Amino acid sequence: MRDTRHEMRDTRLGPVISVLIPTFNRPRYLYGALASVLHQSYRNLQIIVINDGGEDVSDVVNSFSDPRIIFINRKENRGKAFSLNQALSRAEGKYITYLDDDDLYYPNHIETLVNVLENQTDCQVAYSDLYKAYCRVTPDGNRQILSKVVEISRDFDRFLMLHFNQALHVCLMHRRDLIEKTGLYNEDLNILIDWDMTRRLAFFSDFHHVYEITGEFYSPISESDRISVQKRKDKHEYFRNVLAIRTARPAKPWTKIEDMSIIFVADQLNQQVGKTIGSIWWHTFYPYKVYIPLPQADLNMLNTVMPNIIKVPVNSLASGAERVDTALARCDGEYITIVPNGFPVEKMWVENPLYALINTPASNKQGREGFELEGSTDTLWAAVVKKDDLRYARRSFPNLPVRQSLKAAGIALRQPDAEELPFQFDNLLQEAQFAEKDGNWAQAAQVFEYIADHYKNELWMKTEAAKAFFKAGAHTRAAELSCEVNQQRPTVDTLLLEAKVKREKKDFNSAIELLRSAEQILEGHVLQKTAKWEPVEEKNHYGHNTR
Amino acid sequence: MDITQDNLTQDNIVGVFNSTQHYEVLQELGDCYTTVGDFAQAQGCYEKAASLGPDEPGPYVGLGVVALQKDLLDDAEVAFRVACRLDVNCARAYAGLAMVAQQRADYKQAFEMYLKCLELDTDNLTALLGLFQTSCQMGSFAKVIHYLEVYLSMHPGDTSVMFSLAALYMKDGRFEQSRKILLDVLTLDPANKDAANLLEEVEHNLTQIKQGT
Repeated sequence: MRDTRHEMRDTRLGPVISVLIPTFNRPRYLYGALASVLHQSYRNLQIIVINDGGEDVSDVVNSFSDPRIIFINRKENRGKAFSLNQALSRAEGKYITYLDDDDLYYPNHIETLVNVLENQTDCQVAYSDLYKAYCRVTPDGNRQILSKVVEISRDFDRFLMLHFNQALHVCLMHRRDLIEKTGLYNEDLNILIDWDMTRRLAFFSDFHHVYEITGEFYSPISESDRISVQKRKDKHEYFRNVLAIRTARPAKPWTKIEDMSIIFVADQLNQQVGKTIGSIWWHTFYPYKVYIPLPQADLNMLNTVMPNIIKVPVNSLASGAERVDTALARCDGEYITIVPNGFPVEKMWVENPLYALINTPASNKQGREGFELEGSTDTLWAAVVKKDDLRYARRSFPNLPVRQSLKAAGIALRQPDAEELPFQFDNLLQEAQFAEKDGNWAQAAQVFEYIADHYKNELWMKTEAAKAFFKAGAHTRAAELSCEVNQQRPTVDTLLLEAKVKREKKDFNSAIELLRSAEQILEGHVLQKTAKWEPVEEKNHYGHNTR
Repeated sequence: MDITQDNLTQDNIVGVFNSTQHYEVLQELGDCYTTVGDFAQAQGCYEKAASLGPDEPGPYVGLGVVALQKDLLDDAEVAFRVACRLDVNCARAYAGLAMVAQQRADYKQAFEMYLKCLELDTDNLTALLGLFQTSCQMGSFAKVIHYLEVYLSMHPGDTSVMFSLAALYMKDGRFEQSRKILLDVLTLDPANKDAANLLEEVEHNLTQIKQGT
């Protein structure tokens, strides 16, 4: 037997990677998942399997007899977050990766991500692409693959990550020491646990997107047995988790995100105050704290469970500008949003102008500037500005109302132009998807192709464009795009499309070659650059082949 | 921008489900293997495709074609009948049944099945030519002429169908129409000896008619 314990300490083999595999009641699939880790071309692994109080899987784990495996066989069900924290406490690797008990790595998964993180990027987090394998589960529990699709191959976008997850844990690798900054998994969450961590990782590192497909996760076509899917059906619980995640603020200093302080201006505590700050809580996904300058008596009566509220006592006779000044003295955000009581707070209310403020190139700016919020009026004035600019304006013109002081200080206030708003890619993607729903394939194809040319996410968008062109009858263009994708990173979809067009042109041998490649992927015989992949047999009773 | 939590959630849970991809790959692969004459590989693909798309007639049509190529007429008939049962409007399955009947020299049955196929798909060239052959064997042309005319109205310039129609016109005594089509065939394909020979025969008949009058 190989002395793998020795390997773990041999730095010539590269850094140790800790692979965390929480499992709960899926012994049948755990075998395949674990085998896919042991088939990795990268050998310097520490594999931590955590049974979260489910069905006993000792036989499965022990059947491998591999000293790299650490098995935590907990009898009590404490949830995935607890399991991951328990595993992290044992993890010794420089990097952490994750695998759910019913998913699979391809043999190059870890090697690909380690190479990137060690040699190709300053990012401390990297993620690859994965197939989503739709399957039919037969009565004997086997999975019959119906399709394998790279549904999302999204380049990292920090704003999107703050809004919702874009990198599944199964395709993620990050430095272990980042956990010291992000904090451990939130054990109060029972869904979206992965997003909570990736969101917090985004405070400290960019994510490097690797376009290779290095694994697959499964989606049964009938009711999903995934715990997270079941729990998402409880809307109240779902939104409780979402709000908890969005308001999570890891300890500072943050290296990749600048904080925002919201100064909420009200004359007195009334029902409207509760409504407005409730809307802020509900609709804001950029990290923030809300500063509420009110007389102490009002603050004493302010009863809210909303997190990240800073109560700022002020004189009851203080003007609006004085209240802003008092709060401003305590704000620790780099950006300041001033919002009055009763302001219509809706989706993207602050993120739109804030994004413009953060990202508009200096060359576009007419000197210093801030952005007024959509819906801002003379009586309900709201804006987001840089803290330094606001402080400069208030120091220079303390007797003027806030808006006038900014103008007097030469800080131009305007609303963002359309091209300055976030999620340009998503808007166009939605436009293309609407065109597809209407059966307008040609228009959809053109939009997809435009996105590929102008908004990154090139392989993903070219694939979508190829599919739409084919449906629009533009088979030659579909084949050209598919061919471009296949040369860089073949997928089942693009191989199939290219083959169809080859067949139409009566080039049957080329069509057969492409289709056989597609079939190999679907059957699990994945062609690898670095390793020869043998499909993992699904086994029954931990040893007997089932197919 | 209108990313709502609801639609993101929905996308994340449901995704865009494509249930036919693996089936399509195998069906395409089977068809390609059939075309290049690798029937053993084709059969394997169709069998797998049938298990992935148990309600789809395509794999059974493919299995029927493979069986026909191997002269396993009974197997072919069973496969085509399964395809018909899965989709009563599967034109290719009726064409397959017609070919089985034709091989068995059951021209009446073949004729009916070709007709059934053409009712569902006037574009089906296999059925058109099969109908032509069968009708020649049976000496009955009226329905065939109709379908060939319909086909040509949609695919003008298909010389093999034009030739068949010209032959049927001649057999039906419609020499002028036959001559006109044959001239068109020779314009499109001057080296077509069959068309030139038939034209000679048609013109001979026309001459005799003129002399007779």
